Amino acid sequence: MIFLIEYNRSIGVIVTVRDFDDSQRREAEESRLAIELDLNRKGIDHEVVLLEAVSKDALHRTHQRYFADLTALLKSAAGQDE
Amino acid sequence: MIKNALSNTQIDLLGNRLKGGSHTESDLRLLDDYRRSFGAAYEAVVRTLRQRGAVPTGRLAKSTKSIAEKLRRESIRLSQMQDIAGCRIVVENILDQEKLVASLKADFPEAILIDRRDNPSHGYRAVHLIAEISGKPIEIQIRSSLQHLWAEVSEKSSDVLDPTIKYGGGSDSWRERLTKKSQSVAAYEESEKKIAVAVASEEAADAAYKKFENAYAELRKHHLPDHELQEMQKAREDLMSKKKLRERTHQKLRGDSERLRKKNTDLLTEAITWLDRQKRQKQ
Repeated sequence: MIFLIEYNRSIGVIVTVRDFDDSQRREAEESRLAIELDLNRKGIDHEVVLLEAVSKDALHRTHQRYFADLTALLKSAAGQDE
Repeated sequence: MIKNALSNTQIDLLGNRLKGGSHTESDLRLLDDYRRSFGAAYEAVVRTLRQRGAVPTGRLAKSTKSIAEKLRRESIRLSQMQDIAGCRIVVENILDQEKLVASLKADFPEAILIDRRDNPSHGYRAVHLIAEISGKPIEIQIRSSLQHLWAEVSEKSSDVLDPTIKYGGGSDSWRERLTKKSQSVAAYEESEKKIAVAVASEEAADAAYKKFENAYAELRKHHLPDHELQEMQKAREDLMSKKKLRERTHQKLRGDSERLRKKNTDLLTEAITWLDRQKRQKQ
């Protein structure tokens, strides 16, 4: 799966997230560019990233920064002890 | 759609405009073309990783914001940037990390290895491999669970508190907390390695002891002279006492390791609780 994420780094929250099938890579890339151009025109300083993972869970595990509230990180930390 | 390959000069001039913040819409399109030119190399690397049983999460394209910031932060040209495309693998522990790194080094013998475990970058510990496919570098990040967790806290700290934290900036107190946490993870992982060595030696010693016991039982059937039997018994007692000593030492190692793991969790908990409070205030 491919995930297109618009992230507001200044407050640490996701603005939008959209997923695509692996076969839709070109579409995902085009969408990424379209969002970036739109943000540029509006003068909005957000980060736009394209990530690929076998599942949403796998993505959350490796890129918690985008998704998790910090309490989720805490739970994950506690999970290390389980 | 990639029409023509960009020359290094074109790429670097684009990098200069991004660095200066003077980029135009056509620059963003040009950068998009450049990023997409890494697609085939990225896919080749991910295919190899999956064949190895790894579960990578790929970053098909480094964000424009991250590229521009890196160009401003480091004396590097855009054409030299090695992490335009890459992927990340998180494994359970440092032992799995070492096994995976060894196998990937065999898969990508020309890859550049950057081991930040013994020499952390502002507390960041991980192994990065830069594999090059058809002239395109692809970064493979390999992290243990705890290294990854630390990195996530550091990243989140940069988002919520100060964007320079990841690169050694931010307040002294927060930097110290992150450094302390990183050192604690390193100490825990060192204990994981020691335990692995201890377990291996324990298994070998147990096997040797079992062999001795069998040989001793066999010899006793042959009515050995008393003095030889006594020597054998003494050797057997020595082995048994060494075995007990080994077991006690290993038990202590495991106890120390458990305490370090708890310490890691406590430090992380403290960091996250504080970050949560800051984030709420910001929103």
